[in-house]
Amino acid sequence: MSDKPATSGVRRREFLKVLGAAGATTAAIGCSTEDVGKLIPYLVHPDQTQPGVSNYYATTCRECSASCGILAETRDGRAFKLEGNPAHPLNRGALCARGQAAVQGLLNPDRWRGPMVRRQPGGELEPVAWDEALSVLHQNLSQVRLAGRAGQALFINKHETGAFPVFLDQWLEAMGLPSHLSVDPLADDAVIEANRQVYGTAWPAFNFAAARLIVSFSADFLDAWGATVPQQLAFADARAQVENAPRFVYVGPRRSLTGLNADEWIPCRPGHELVVAQALQGGNASQIAQAAQQSGAPVDALNRLAAELQATRPAVVLAGGGGAAAYALAMHTATWNQQLGAVGSIVRADQASLAYEGMTPGSELVAAVMRMSLGEVPFVAVRGANPAFTLPAPANFAEAFARVPFKVSFSSYPDETSMMCDLVLPDHHPLESWGVAQAMPGVLSVQQPAMDPVFQTRQSADVLIDIARRDPALAPQYAQTLTFREWMFQRFPGGMDGFTAAAPTGIASGTLSRPTPATGPGAAPVPPAAPPADGEFYFLVYPSPVLGSDGGNKPWLQELADPVTKIAWQSWVEVSPRTAVRMGIENGDILQVETAGGRVEAPAYIYPGIQENTVAMASGRGHTAYSERFAANIGVNPMVAVDARSGAQAWMVSTARVSRTGRHTPLVTTEGSPRQRDRGIGQATTVAALLAAPAADPHHPTPTLPGEPGLEGQHDQPEPAGHGAGQRFGPGLRAPVAADAQGGLVDPNAHRQGMYRFDHPAGMANRRWAMTIDLARCTGCSACIVACYAENNIPTVGAPYQTRNTPGTLGTAGGNIVRGREMTWIRLERYWEGPADGSADFEARFVPMLCQHCGNAPCEPVCPVYATYHAPDGLNVQVYNRCVGTRYCSNNCPYKVRYFNWFGYGEPNRPQYAWPEPMHWQLNPDVTVRGKGVMEKCTFCVQRIREAENRAALEGREVQPDEFTVACAQACPSRAIVFGDAADDDWTVAQLAHDRRAYHVFEELNTYSAVVYLRKVQHLAPGAPAPATVQGGAH
Amino acid sequence: MATTVRPVDPRRPNVASADIQLPAVRNYTQVTDEIIDTLRPTKAWFAALSVAILCFLIGALTWIYQIYMGLGVAGYNPPVMWGVYIITFVFWVGIGHAGTLISAILYLFRAGFRTTIYRAAEAMTVFAVMTAGLFPILHLGRPWKFFWLIPYPNWRLLWPQFKSPLVWDVFAILTYLTVSSTFLYIGLIPDFAALRDRETHPIRKRIFAVLSLGWRNSDREWRHFARAYLFLAAFSTPLVLSVHSVVSFDFAVSIVPGWHATIFPPYFVAGAIFSGIGMVFTIIIPLRRWFGLKHYVTINHLDAAAKLCLFTSLVVGLAYITEFWIAWYSGHEYEQTYFIERVLGKWWWAAAIMLICNMVLPLSLFVQRWRRNVVWLFTLSLFINLGMWYERFVIVIPSLSREFSPWQWTGYAPTWVDWSILLGSFGWFFMWFLLFVKQLPILAIAEIKEVLPPAQRRAHALAGDPGGGAPQKKYPEKLGRED
Repeated sequence: MSDKPATSGVRRREFLKVLGAAGATTAAIGCSTEDVGKLIPYLVHPDQTQPGVSNYYATTCRECSASCGILAETRDGRAFKLEGNPAHPLNRGALCARGQAAVQGLLNPDRWRGPMVRRQPGGELEPVAWDEALSVLHQNLSQVRLAGRAGQALFINKHETGAFPVFLDQWLEAMGLPSHLSVDPLADDAVIEANRQVYGTAWPAFNFAAARLIVSFSADFLDAWGATVPQQLAFADARAQVENAPRFVYVGPRRSLTGLNADEWIPCRPGHELVVAQALQGGNASQIAQAAQQSGAPVDALNRLAAELQATRPAVVLAGGGGAAAYALAMHTATWNQQLGAVGSIVRADQASLAYEGMTPGSELVAAVMRMSLGEVPFVAVRGANPAFTLPAPANFAEAFARVPFKVSFSSYPDETSMMCDLVLPDHHPLESWGVAQAMPGVLSVQQPAMDPVFQTRQSADVLIDIARRDPALAPQYAQTLTFREWMFQRFPGGMDGFTAAAPTGIASGTLSRPTPATGPGAAPVPPAAPPADGEFYFLVYPSPVLGSDGGNKPWLQELADPVTKIAWQSWVEVSPRTAVRMGIENGDILQVETAGGRVEAPAYIYPGIQENTVAMASGRGHTAYSERFAANIGVNPMVAVDARSGAQAWMVSTARVSRTGRHTPLVTTEGSPRQRDRGIGQATTVAALLAAPAADPHHPTPTLPGEPGLEGQHDQPEPAGHGAGQRFGPGLRAPVAADAQGGLVDPNAHRQGMYRFDHPAGMANRRWAMTIDLARCTGCSACIVACYAENNIPTVGAPYQTRNTPGTLGTAGGNIVRGREMTWIRLERYWEGPADGSADFEARFVPMLCQHCGNAPCEPVCPVYATYHAPDGLNVQVYNRCVGTRYCSNNCPYKVRYFNWFGYGEPNRPQYAWPEPMHWQLNPDVTVRGKGVMEKCTFCVQRIREAENRAALEGREVQPDEFTVACAQACPSRAIVFGDAADDDWTVAQLAHDRRAYHVFEELNTYSAVVYLRKVQHLAPGAPAPATVQGGAH
Repeated sequence: MATTVRPVDPRRPNVASADIQLPAVRNYTQVTDEIIDTLRPTKAWFAALSVAILCFLIGALTWIYQIYMGLGVAGYNPPVMWGVYIITFVFWVGIGHAGTLISAILYLFRAGFRTTIYRAAEAMTVFAVMTAGLFPILHLGRPWKFFWLIPYPNWRLLWPQFKSPLVWDVFAILTYLTVSSTFLYIGLIPDFAALRDRETHPIRKRIFAVLSLGWRNSDREWRHFARAYLFLAAFSTPLVLSVHSVVSFDFAVSIVPGWHATIFPPYFVAGAIFSGIGMVFTIIIPLRRWFGLKHYVTINHLDAAAKLCLFTSLVVGLAYITEFWIAWYSGHEYEQTYFIERVLGKWWWAAAIMLICNMVLPLSLFVQRWRRNVVWLFTLSLFINLGMWYERFVIVIPSLSREFSPWQWTGYAPTWVDWSILLGSFGWFFMWFLLFVKQLPILAIAEIKEVLPPAQRRAHALAGDPGGGAPQKKYPEKLGRED
């Protein structure tokens, strides 16, 4: 370097600058075939934020009333993945499909993007500035109050627990308005009231593990009956006790997802559960015979169950459904439980879910609609709730609502109700909001924003404070609390500091909401409805377990096949096989269901799990003014045909005439053949068979030396594929090929050396990533599928806009799925076992199926370009960039777990783009978005594996056993999926892989797969012979 | 050329050589005149070419559309990941087999009836392989990356997976295309010279001169030519067996029930030859009529080819039956389920088309009257084309739709995109073929001259020479040039 100042020419630093800039430009322009995206880094990092490292915010799920704790994973200020909060006592880290899809509500392109106003009656809603919108609300509210009609105004809120309802009632009281209506269209009012009467709480917890027998009378505790995630956790934990697990009998007209998890189904006519329950409790043979005749239930089964209920303690009976007699049934079972010894041990009021405290019974909402229709209501505010969709058509909500002079909506989405409103003041999504939920007695669940608001929305509570402060009389009351956040901090135990301290874990102890007292005895027991006339059917409407009432705008949930019928993006009518034969109905024939209340048309789905005199439909689809991309005009809303005159409760039984329209539409189903043909895919065993197994059966893995990976014998002497009881059962480790993949054939000690060591003899790893799936735990709920979609940027393919005017997609919603093009890296196969003639004696086998990461993978040698190959740590890897799309790998995969990008789902300029802005903000930055024409499949969440390895390497340690897990296992509310390193016995998966129930699917193909299934366990009725179908395959 | 033609001894009639006699052809001039006369374009030819080009354009535009939109516009229904394109690929490769069989194997076997049909068959081979070669690319998810299947040196040291049958396919197809087009070209050299000598247009004359490699009709040239031709025939013969064996490995190497069978290579080769002969009939029968070449491609030739067709049909039929036997004997439940599905399941009609067209209808060729009925031969050849397309359909579609996992059992229905591209492939093939028939002689002029009765030559031959293959080399000027 010269000392002389450079006065002319180019100085070194400048030269380097220019060189760098020019080089970068050349590189950017010259080397890329794609548009160059702009990455704008933070100029100043927000506190605790590192690029490329996720931040997690503990908050509360508000999708249903249960208030599960969630962790929102954020990166660069965007929330993109929700996981259950392991610290939360309610859901213990699990999260259902609906909860995980909340992030698609947050980033939904069809949200209100700002306030809207209807300037003249009959006009369109137009965007408006917040100031003006607030003035409009203030003006109208003032007018109502000045006119002295404030007492007749209504505030309809989507039910939630915690701080906001308390705040809202206080605000309403200050404004002179009556308390709000807190509505949950899915809640079972009758059961809640009976629970209050008998147990003293709206919804007790169920500790199924303590039971020996569970009898459910249409109580769908895995579907939508109560707080499903904790119930599912409890049920799976109970079933995991294998020999000591409770037997589960389901009595009801339709085998719901819960019913499919029962060991036995006793079909009965809808509304006749009470008769059956009474007869079973009495145990009197003549009474049972009479009940059997009345309800259509098989008398033998009832007799056996009555004897079993007499003999088995503790047992628990649960009530749901019941039609007009719902309340009587709920009261009956609740009192019966005391006799069965369930209360206190199985039915735990002390761990109750407070989800339904403060909820308004459906009858009150119907009464309010009546007042609207009489023109008595001057002002209605709606927040979150959508009665125009969820109420039965005969309630005439739309007409009544139209008669209200001023209607304001605080809903986040354009929906049937808010489209009718005069003013829309869109609320923040719960993931953008502050709040507190009351999940369990004494447990507060904090709700904090996971990201900045996506649109020009405002939290409703803040809007209400703003309105109140415009009234000079009320302004002082809110002088100290300018925002709802401040209001909430004042009431939070420990104030703001307490909240801040609770925020990292998401929970605090304390109580905010008051339990609702019992309202006294409900309706008197109603005799069951007379059987429908000849040619008529009972018409049963049940809430969709995946969509709920407002999940339709989330493509993950629309695309998620119903766990029972496996139908997506479509409504259907379930008919029994016998009815189908009698009426000549085939799957997909469009049926008309006509009740006194209205009529609907939907394709038929022949379902063996429905009582012969009954047809059923799921609610949740058939929106007319909800998300135009994902919900509007998809399916039909069965509520329009519910005969609501029989009561206020939504899930009523009506009588319907069913006729064929003569039209046909393909079912949007992911189901191929529902029969596994003894191929041993979903295998099962019985308690008796397990108990009879020889004692030498290695329930536990062979002991190995401390610190030694338990692989010695296998590497030295690879065992042949065939194995029997007593042999060590490992995921893909017994294979010569797999041993070679581990480096074992090169050097027997190879597995002790790290894969990244340059002097490693085969460059191979000492790990074998593997998975166990316990079919005794799996309920088929499909939460794993949504978790996988969220984690791995899997496109949804069924939205109408993705199929419009495109050959090969049938042009209908879900048309791509009719073509089998769904991209479910993990899917839930649901096979029927047992007779196919429509008898009740059939069984469902749920098998989560994902890439098996075979040690000897058939897909690998056939790929001409090495796009799929075997990674050193046992993963079967797919290199998207290398894939040319011959699809040979998929042909050669016996598990059929490879999925092809038929369209440019990941390309924003394509009509099939799966993530319309801002939904693409959800994309996981750790995972590639695949382009069109490449194959993809389950990676065992390789990004999580590498993250854990990198983290361990940075911290200078080994990856600890069970340190991390994959997305599906993380979400699973049954804890059926366990992931880890099977080569290290300290991992749970390594122990489970040697369980006596372990098997591989298609083991005879020598694929040496890394996924080990644990057989389902059947609990047969005492004295019943083992069904021929137990093994589900000759293995 | 080297085909041995012995004189007909009236006391011991040689049926084989009787088959190849051309009684209506009198002398070399007539051969040259009549064959070169077919090269004059006609209105009908322009019309046919226009139709072919139109079909090709439909296919090409559809392909562009498919590349833009993605493969989803075709009727794929996972796990049926291969569809019309792979079916059509195998179909065209199969058709491409008859040409080399006829020109190489039958040449080595001295089957005289090949003389008048081999040029058409060879051209058909080259164009069929050119058509077939498009389909593996057409069917790729990212066709613009097709060259990744070719081993080329690159700094990433990335090579294709040599275990994959698709890579073998690349070699097999490219080798076959190279060898069969070389073979076609070598055979054409004396005819190029004949064309050059007749041509008056200077540019065309120049082109023919270059293509004829300056053929002067010398003894030495003929010797080298005959050697080269013989060598290439020997070289091509194993290819006939190997190429379609490799194509069959695409299926047989996989573990898919219905594909994973050791019978596939011979079965595919037999099927390929069968389909190729079917296509030869489809092409040669109209050609001999429209070009007025009935006295060259005689009914005897067709009769002999029909016997070959019958033979391969019997082989194919045996393979069909053997497949069922193997499925039963294997005790492999997946295999058995698939074969029951094949005939009784959803795709029974495709299997029925296959069995009727390929196994039942060709049995009519046992009757000589049917073998010599040109209308029936043509009709049958269309049935064979259809049946062989459906044979590949039956192999590809039902197998994939009834694989191991019943949960993933599906259907398959092609869309207009599949059909357009299939149509486009016929347009592409016939476009080339039609261009060929008006540029180059569709019958091998030089070879036909060898077949002519020795009486034609006696005026020039040495006394006592009975004729035959050798003497014409003494009179080279009679072959390449006009008398």
